[in-house]
Amino acid sequence: MDLLCILSSLLISYLIFKIWKRIDSKRDQSCYILDYQCHKPSDDRMVSTQFSGEIILRNKHLRLNEYKFLLKAIVSSGIGEQTYAPRLFFEGREECPTQQDALSEMEEFYIDTIKKLLERNKLSPTDIDVLVVNVAMLNTTPSLSARIINHYKMREDIKVFNLTAMGCSASVISVDIVKNIFKTYKNKLALVVTSESLSQNWYSGNNRSMILANCLFRSGGCAVLLTNKRSLSGKAMFKLKCLVRTHHGAREDSYNACVQKEDELGRVGIHLDKTLPKAATRAFVDNLKVITPKILPVTELFRFMLSLLLKKLRGNPSKGSTAVAQAAPKAGINFKTGIDHFCIHTGGKAVIDAIGYSLDLSEYDLEPARMTLHRFGNTSASSLWYVLGYMEAKKRLRRGDRVFMISFGAGFKCNSCVWEVVRDLNVGESLGNVWNHCIDQYPPQSIVNPFLEKYGWIREEDDHDTFKIREEAM
Amino acid sequence: MSQAPMPDFSSSVKLKYVKLGYQYLVNHFLSLLLIPIMAIIAVELLRMGPEEILNVWNSLHFDIVQVLCSSFLVIFISTVYFMSKPRTVYLVDYSCYKPPVTCRVPFATFMEHSRLILKDSPKSVEFQMRILERSGLGEETCLPPAIHYIPPTPTMDEARSEAQMVIFTAMDDLFKKTGLLPKDIDILIVNCSLFSPTPSLSAMVINKYKLRSNIKSFNLSGMGCSAGLISVDLARDLLQVHPNSNAVIVSTEIITPNYYKGNERAMLLPNCLFRMGSAAILMSNRRSDRWRAKYKLCHLVRTHRGADDKSYYCVYEQEDREGKIGINLSKDLMAIAGEALKANITTIGPLVLPASEQLLFLLSLIGRKIFNLKWKPYIPDFKLAFEHFCIHAGGRAVIDELQKNLQLSGEHVEASRMTLHRFGNTSSSSLWYELCYIESKGRMRRGDRVWQIAFGSGFKCNSAVWKCNRTIKTPKDGPWSDCIDRYPVFIPEVVKL
Repeated sequence: MDLLCILSSLLISYLIFKIWKRIDSKRDQSCYILDYQCHKPSDDRMVSTQFSGEIILRNKHLRLNEYKFLLKAIVSSGIGEQTYAPRLFFEGREECPTQQDALSEMEEFYIDTIKKLLERNKLSPTDIDVLVVNVAMLNTTPSLSARIINHYKMREDIKVFNLTAMGCSASVISVDIVKNIFKTYKNKLALVVTSESLSQNWYSGNNRSMILANCLFRSGGCAVLLTNKRSLSGKAMFKLKCLVRTHHGAREDSYNACVQKEDELGRVGIHLDKTLPKAATRAFVDNLKVITPKILPVTELFRFMLSLLLKKLRGNPSKGSTAVAQAAPKAGINFKTGIDHFCIHTGGKAVIDAIGYSLDLSEYDLEPARMTLHRFGNTSASSLWYVLGYMEAKKRLRRGDRVFMISFGAGFKCNSCVWEVVRDLNVGESLGNVWNHCIDQYPPQSIVNPFLEKYGWIREEDDHDTFKIREEAM
Repeated sequence: MSQAPMPDFSSSVKLKYVKLGYQYLVNHFLSLLLIPIMAIIAVELLRMGPEEILNVWNSLHFDIVQVLCSSFLVIFISTVYFMSKPRTVYLVDYSCYKPPVTCRVPFATFMEHSRLILKDSPKSVEFQMRILERSGLGEETCLPPAIHYIPPTPTMDEARSEAQMVIFTAMDDLFKKTGLLPKDIDILIVNCSLFSPTPSLSAMVINKYKLRSNIKSFNLSGMGCSAGLISVDLARDLLQVHPNSNAVIVSTEIITPNYYKGNERAMLLPNCLFRMGSAAILMSNRRSDRWRAKYKLCHLVRTHRGADDKSYYCVYEQEDREGKIGINLSKDLMAIAGEALKANITTIGPLVLPASEQLLFLLSLIGRKIFNLKWKPYIPDFKLAFEHFCIHAGGRAVIDELQKNLQLSGEHVEASRMTLHRFGNTSSSSLWYELCYIESKGRMRRGDRVWQIAFGSGFKCNSAVWKCNRTIKTPKDGPWSDCIDRYPVFIPEVVKL
């Protein structure tokens, strides 16, 4: 009898031990942001109105129509006087970039940000277990991820992924990879490096849909440290609540909204179609459909369902909003009940306006995105982190707050995620924040672009054939 | 190379039997230990006699409640145990792209093109000829249509149409073979090292096949010839997290935009070796796919030597003196590959080698390090761990070097050599052509283990271990179907051109 007891208790305790091990491996799967560092390029790379004008005039293929188009685009872009461009633009070589230019642009970025990030957190490069690099428009051999590993002498068994061509939403895709890896492997530290390479992607032709990209994109980048280590969760800033990806590549019009191709004369540029806002809206709506139930409280969802039901029963199509609804449909649901801050991809003033309208956001909510667009321009995938930096610098982030990140990308994708603030970020100084030096000047009194003042006379010009740039504009 | 640390009887036949007996003993140690235990128990039982046994049985008070509780507990625990096992990842099937005959580049065509394009630098033409003679490539390798023009016309449109041709054909083939519906794909990973348009190639695939909007797509690039295994690694990690899903991986290399147009010698080398090819692979973690899956993924080990400067610079894309872009392959590529392989082996060895080899390796390590005996480092015999080897067909020199390092016979590296001969270096998809060769030869049996090794720029060495799930019949279609009877061919050291 005793023997049987002993044997059975041994067996049971062994099984319990195995189960405990299995359960233990399922813990520590949360994804935390430990810290992040955005890149502020040096001041000699600032693009002023004067300089913008110079670059445009350097392109000998442009005619009056293109100038008018550009004027309209730049004036309504919401981009200010202090954005940054790659160094070779200042040397007048934007039409003949070399491989080395692209590489040094990237080096300037990652050497600065990763160093600051690791130093601040007292980590060494060999502590990093996972590295995900996403730069949409640069593809080199060895990859950028290999360059970073070489520069920082990272470990041999590092898990590394190099994503390209995934557009402005690639940040969220990189976080998705890290989130999935954290579910399988415990105690890992991940580094996500995101940026955009502009050096080799200047369009030197005169196709209007392609020169738009020249005006909007600016230099910038960000490095983010993520972890699932329990010991570091106290020092973490944000915790990932959910992440949803929507891909509309199956639809022809969404797929062709943003395509890199050659124009009639063989020059490569990114074609931004007129249907791009519609494609973005469709993708955004689909994305919201999936993520809304996950982030809003049940009471709000109930209220929304009830209001929809009432509308249907009354059989009342809302006439007032049909005209405006073509641009962006009003959601009719109050997102502020579940989300406190909105991190919108700074794709352009139109994008921010459209999202503000459809989610019914106030100017206070849209301020971080608008100010980022004004100060740093559209830095592609890393723009979300600059917007987050603004909120942090303005001391808006309190413990328990939720931040909703929305991004769009070529293809057409809409990726979004929700972060929860883990500790109070509105006390003390946020070290290394890229907005620290200028946050007091924001929001500025007016963000009207001086471009209108300087070049507005182009609108009055009518004669296409004999049009010549006046001397004073040079 | 090294020998076993017993140089005295190395030529003796008796050594073979000693080795075999030793291997058997160590590998089956636990089962051999069980024999005396069972013998003791049997003797005890016989000694006790039947009445005593019945007495022992009756003295155990079995309450109905106790019985129920304990059986319930056992069932509950075993259910939780089985449900929380890490998911096995299967390779259901894969298909390789067979280029059309019109894209063939025999030696004569290649040399003629070379002479016309590089007419100002006869030394470079001479160099290309010498490379081609010793390359191990055959006359049936293929280049994309844009490269057949004189001079080549590598526009973005042509590159896109090459991508569409190779990727869509391979995927159509995969859908036909597996009966997979496009809308059932949960994860899509595309890896193409040197061509990365916006929208990405993964978006192109999603657009063509109208895949679902909640698909998880990833586009890896710049990761060299080992990117195929990196995609498999990513798929495996994702399949651990998402239950009941499948993943499609597309591995390819688009040659059109990367044909080097200059005349710098070290950069002309890739022109001679890289050829058109692609592969589409379906992986799954569904239990229902267990029966029809071809392989099960056992291990995947990645090693990155980027921290070492020499390794990092050995495959480097740069501009030559005239500003033309090309890939520079350094002269010590072989040595670096050998070192990267050693680093990879030290991790994968303990996972796959039988206990006998590991013990020998451990003993030789102890002897050398602790007792400072002058033994040569013991290279474990990987032929005991694997039945088939798929070595990336990077070039003849790579295959020779690995054959030497791992002490493999000609038959083991036959798949790699024949793939290099028939298809050239198709970069990340070459491993799949080699696997298809082994299957087409009817050598793949259930339970066979395959080791895939790939190298990539950076410098990376990745290896994957697969176990064959079911004996595979010789496929009737596929890239080798029309020529498998001619293989293996004898590839001379130098083919005189």
